Amino acid sequence: MKRQPLIIKNQRWLDFLFHRPNIHLASFQTISNYPRIWIISILILAVTSLSPLVMATFINNRLIHKSVDAELVLQTDRVTSNAKRSMRFFLEERLNALRFIVNELPYYTLIDNQHLAKILSNLKLGFGGFTDLSIIDADGSQIAYAGPFNLEGKNYKTQSWFTQGIEQDSFISEVFTGYRDIPHIIISVRSKTAYSRHFLLRATLDTQRLMDMLSSYKTNVHTDIFLLNHSGILQTPSTIFGKVFTTAPINIPAFSDTTQVITPETNKENASVIGYSYIDTEAVTTPFILMVHKKKSDVMGTWLNLGKTFNWIIGICCLVMMVIITLVSTFMVNQLYLADQAKAETMLKMEQSQQLACIGQLSAGIAHEINNPLALINETAGYLKDLYQYTGEHRSDKEITELLDDILEAVSRCGTITSQLLGFVRQFDVQISSVNVEKLINGILSFHKKETEYKGIHVTTMIAPNVPAIETDRGKLQQILLNLINNAFQAIEANGCLDIMVSHLPPKKISIEIKDTGCGIPEENLKRIHEPFFSTKKEKMGTGLGLSITYGLVKKLQGTIRVESSAGIGTIFTVTLPVKMQKEEKA
Amino acid sequence: MKHIDILIIDDETKFADMLGRRLSLRGVTCHACYDGQSGLDWIRSNPGAATLILLDLKLPDIYGTQVLAYIKEIDPAVPVFIITGHGTREDETACLAMGASEFIHKPVNIDQLTTLLNHARGERK
Repeated sequence: MKRQPLIIKNQRWLDFLFHRPNIHLASFQTISNYPRIWIISILILAVTSLSPLVMATFINNRLIHKSVDAELVLQTDRVTSNAKRSMRFFLEERLNALRFIVNELPYYTLIDNQHLAKILSNLKLGFGGFTDLSIIDADGSQIAYAGPFNLEGKNYKTQSWFTQGIEQDSFISEVFTGYRDIPHIIISVRSKTAYSRHFLLRATLDTQRLMDMLSSYKTNVHTDIFLLNHSGILQTPSTIFGKVFTTAPINIPAFSDTTQVITPETNKENASVIGYSYIDTEAVTTPFILMVHKKKSDVMGTWLNLGKTFNWIIGICCLVMMVIITLVSTFMVNQLYLADQAKAETMLKMEQSQQLACIGQLSAGIAHEINNPLALINETAGYLKDLYQYTGEHRSDKEITELLDDILEAVSRCGTITSQLLGFVRQFDVQISSVNVEKLINGILSFHKKETEYKGIHVTTMIAPNVPAIETDRGKLQQILLNLINNAFQAIEANGCLDIMVSHLPPKKISIEIKDTGCGIPEENLKRIHEPFFSTKKEKMGTGLGLSITYGLVKKLQGTIRVESSAGIGTIFTVTLPVKMQKEEKA
Repeated sequence: MKHIDILIIDDETKFADMLGRRLSLRGVTCHACYDGQSGLDWIRSNPGAATLILLDLKLPDIYGTQVLAYIKEIDPAVPVFIITGHGTREDETACLAMGASEFIHKPVNIDQLTTLLNHARGERK
């Protein structure tokens, strides 16, 4: 026989989150706290699946940044070193040329303007970058001059470059404007005349040439190469800090013999790498610091953008995974919950039916054993009564007759109980025939016609037009409906309502709903109403067997019975039966 | 051959006697046997003597249905009422199929029994 669930529920998605705990079912459930399981499952799934991804992304980002930083530092270092070497060579080469001239040529040829002009033209041919040449004596007077500016006879005694130059064998000045009002660099070598007087051979270097040379090291637009003097004033134009002679807003880096690269701690936007080198020639120190400035965000832009895109993709992946994890967890936990719920319901039903079976068997055994002594009491008491009635000896003693009647009534009551008990447990043979439910109900209601009128009960019968005649056991269906309708009538107070609704549940079932406006059944009693002898009716009103028999009969007819009740409002019994009952296989 | 109204076959001696006495008070003649074998012997020695037979199912020697079968062999026309405190539905179906007229559960209502007896008497005549 196919068993139908006793408790039919609408099973919804997320049931486990919003279910109301049922104390009867709780003891049969494997897991009690489903929301917790749900959260734990989401957490575990999320941690195990997302953490490798997040860690890999994090490590990858760190690696990219580190390697990019290292590459940038290396690049800056290389550019700085190369530029420094060229710069140094440029200055040394010219200084050595001057040194060669003063050592090789006597003083008198040097102070000859024409000769000096010839030397200048030779220097321009050989090295380039020279603007003019002049001889200056120890007093600062310009003795000879070759070049494009008219500077003959000028005295430089007060110029700072002269005071420094006359004290050293070789000298390289900062960039300055001087008398000619054009930025230039002076290099000079000191020598002695035949009279052991010092004089200077001074040359002016074209700064443009220097700038061209430095610019040739600019590998890309994000690199800035410029010269600073020791006070932080720009000696060549800078794309970041502006024109010559402006003060660059950077700290003068600490002195070092070698090329250094520093990465100043600034905010991420302006993070930069600075390579620097103090420029010294073999003969003399120069006032120049070569600076190579690379802005990180510009140089690394491509890499950083790639990283950002990558992070976005990972973020979206994580989000999608979280959604999937949540959905999967929810689905799984809900399935688990539903399975557990179904298991608990089955176990509850099994327990209930086992209890019923046990109680039933016990009751039947007792009933059997009691019937014989009961029959003896009945006959003995009956015989005694007969003796009084038929022999007439004590006919006038009404008290004894009444007492005997009491015994006989008590026996009759016991007989009713035992026969109902037997009816409860007895394995009935089912006789299937076609039954018209409407006629059956009307027949039963006709028994109660008087009671209906007396109590003023409003009875409504609604039979859906499509309800077919069903194939079932007429006697049992009659008893089921009789029991339920009897119960309803007993529960209904005066002027109450009894509604009977029969509807077709396509394709194979019909449902009979018996709804009363009676006193209802308190929740704590709902579980027990199918137990034999459970009765809340007042003494002598009922045996407590009615509903347990009804329950057994409905199962016998392969149907289900469901009860909904609110104390004080009423009760609805719903019996669902198959339209065509299957023949039972004999066990 | 004396004619009686009811033959009671029941191992509950006191019950059988008491029922017999009550029926006697109502003018019904009875004879009681306390096991299957003596009941069958009585029927064999007094064929057609009883108008009605009341038969218990749980007898000490032969089970009631078997006794019923023998009775129906000896006298198929006699109405047999099964009267039992132990009857199952299977027993009831089996007995009715084997020719029992009624299946009555203990305790018995005496008035119901006399009514059935009168009915049986009428049919027997």
